[in-house]
Amino acid sequence: MGRRGKQPYYVEAAPPVDVNKNTEWFMYPGVWTTYILLLFFAWLLVLSVSGCSPGAAWTVVNLAHFAITYHFFHWKKGTPFAADDQGIYSRLTWWEQIDNGQQLTRNRKFLTVVPVVLYLIASHLTDYKQPMFFLNTVAVFVLVVAKLPNMHKVRIFGINADI
Amino acid sequence: MVRLPYTTALTTLFSYGLLFAFGQLRDFFRKFVDWFKAKNVKGYAPICLGLEDFYVRRLYLRIQDCFGRPIASAPDSWFDVVERISNDNNKTLQRTSHTTRCLNLGSYNYLGFAAADEYCTPRAIESLKKYSASTCSVRVDGGTTKLHAELEELVARFVGKPAAILFGMGYVTNSAIIPCLIGKGGLIISDSLNHNSIVNGARGSGATVRVFQHNSPAHLEEVLREQIAGGQPRTHRPWKKIIVIVEGIYSMEGELCKLPEIIAVCKKYKAYTYLDEAHSIGAVGQSGRGVCELLGVDPADVDIMMGTFTKSFGSCGGYIAASKDIIQHLKHTCPAHLYATSMSPPAVQQVISAIKVILGEDGSNRGAQKLARIRENSNFFRSELKKMGFEVLGDNDSPVMPIMLYNPAKIPAFSRECLRQKVAVVTVAFPATPLLLARARICISASHTKEDLVTALDVISRVGDLVGIKYFPAEPPKIAEVGHNKLE
Repeated sequence: MGRRGKQPYYVEAAPPVDVNKNTEWFMYPGVWTTYILLLFFAWLLVLSVSGCSPGAAWTVVNLAHFAITYHFFHWKKGTPFAADDQGIYSRLTWWEQIDNGQQLTRNRKFLTVVPVVLYLIASHLTDYKQPMFFLNTVAVFVLVVAKLPNMHKVRIFGINADI
Repeated sequence: MVRLPYTTALTTLFSYGLLFAFGQLRDFFRKFVDWFKAKNVKGYAPICLGLEDFYVRRLYLRIQDCFGRPIASAPDSWFDVVERISNDNNKTLQRTSHTTRCLNLGSYNYLGFAAADEYCTPRAIESLKKYSASTCSVRVDGGTTKLHAELEELVARFVGKPAAILFGMGYVTNSAIIPCLIGKGGLIISDSLNHNSIVNGARGSGATVRVFQHNSPAHLEEVLREQIAGGQPRTHRPWKKIIVIVEGIYSMEGELCKLPEIIAVCKKYKAYTYLDEAHSIGAVGQSGRGVCELLGVDPADVDIMMGTFTKSFGSCGGYIAASKDIIQHLKHTCPAHLYATSMSPPAVQQVISAIKVILGEDGSNRGAQKLARIRENSNFFRSELKKMGFEVLGDNDSPVMPIMLYNPAKIPAFSRECLRQKVAVVTVAFPATPLLLARARICISASHTKEDLVTALDVISRVGDLVGIKYFPAEPPKIAEVGHNKLE
């Protein structure tokens, strides 16, 4: 059979067993790649818009990534459709919900490694100069500590505890 | 198990990310705008917290003209769809007085009983005149008519069980029965893609709920072994009882359940089985008796068989068929039987007549014809769609066929363009389906003629090209092949 044009690369998506619709989308193929590509294109965007050095652009991406992922993974609690699942997750942040609360799964390990890699790239390309170094370190410290298994359902000083 | 191109997975995730980002942005600005607005509800708690209805406000409402379209005629193979307009970008919709005559590919009209039928409709009208539109009472007070008793016996006979009980609503049948069968200390193992009514009933029962991978008897066995060995959570006492809940045809996948293997596993571990045949009763099987007949399973092996009258019988309501003891127990404990108004008598008569037609007891062979027609129609439509290169789910003989769309923007594109070309399809998105796997679900009916199906295939093929959902290479049409051979 002649190949008319390139055949696309197919992946199989088996329906995952996760009942929590807020997190089961993370089990599908392509999620990790999309995440990495988003970070890369954000870096390109920052570079092209501001014309700063690559290291400064990675710092900007790292800090924006810190703000966004902290807000959506570790601050916002519950699901966007609490009426459907009767609010059983309304006290859990997204990070505490994924993989059904199991710790140290592949997804969690991947999501913990990404801020560290971003930190290493940003610090290397800025030659470990202040003040970028300090800001990057704060970002990676907060993010990695928030993702540790010991911090599951912990609310320090009652910050972000339930209403 | 669906196969999709990798780039489609990436673009779908990116699209949802973009929609999510814009929704959050608009919410952020809305917070500022609302801060300055005077509020006279000080002291009251908000009805909805910000994140809870995010999906409805920022994603669903953008395309809400694709859902909930009102119709102005009986849901036959062609019907009138009311046109709606919006003046504020789909936040609210107003009905106009115009209707469009469209081909109906969305109604659960598997055997064509949804429109006026020469045997069923006169009898339904007669029962309306005799018994009036409502019994105005609950079953245990004054709401049991001769028709209800007749239908319960008929359903039991049709399905192959000793006894049956009726309910006025299909959803309620599941959500009110499961709490009566099992409670705290029991275990419910349900398929991961079960319908919301089953999930609701399972949650409401208070039993522990575990989920097994869709249609996988091997994983079911694994879950059963793990749970039986572990016992109840914390106390590790043995489970009071275990019920495994599966569906006959899964309405979002069009797949048949692997019933013989699942029943074998359940028998091995002495678990009860509950089969929800909402979409399969009356639509599959040699004589319309559902998946048990189609897959060669003895109805006595399934403990509880549930079904609805909305799909193949053109009525409303649901039933449970089981042993006489279980039905007797349900009649004394189920709140949907004790406190809910009984089924409307014309609806009961409609089901009685429909079952009689299917069984051939009305004196004609229209039932057998309808069953043969829906089988032919489904197989023809599915094979043609697959040949065109669409990703179509579901097994052969199943009248439900979802066409995968994936990207969120293709949902309104497909839906609106098909409506413009006078074909009405139902599109389903998150949260009824997994996030990545949005689809357009086609329900084939025995009342669709070959010309209707060819028209539908034409329109879907053109719209599919426009929208870009032909993810697989299309097979070349037969004529080109013949020409090729001739040249050689």
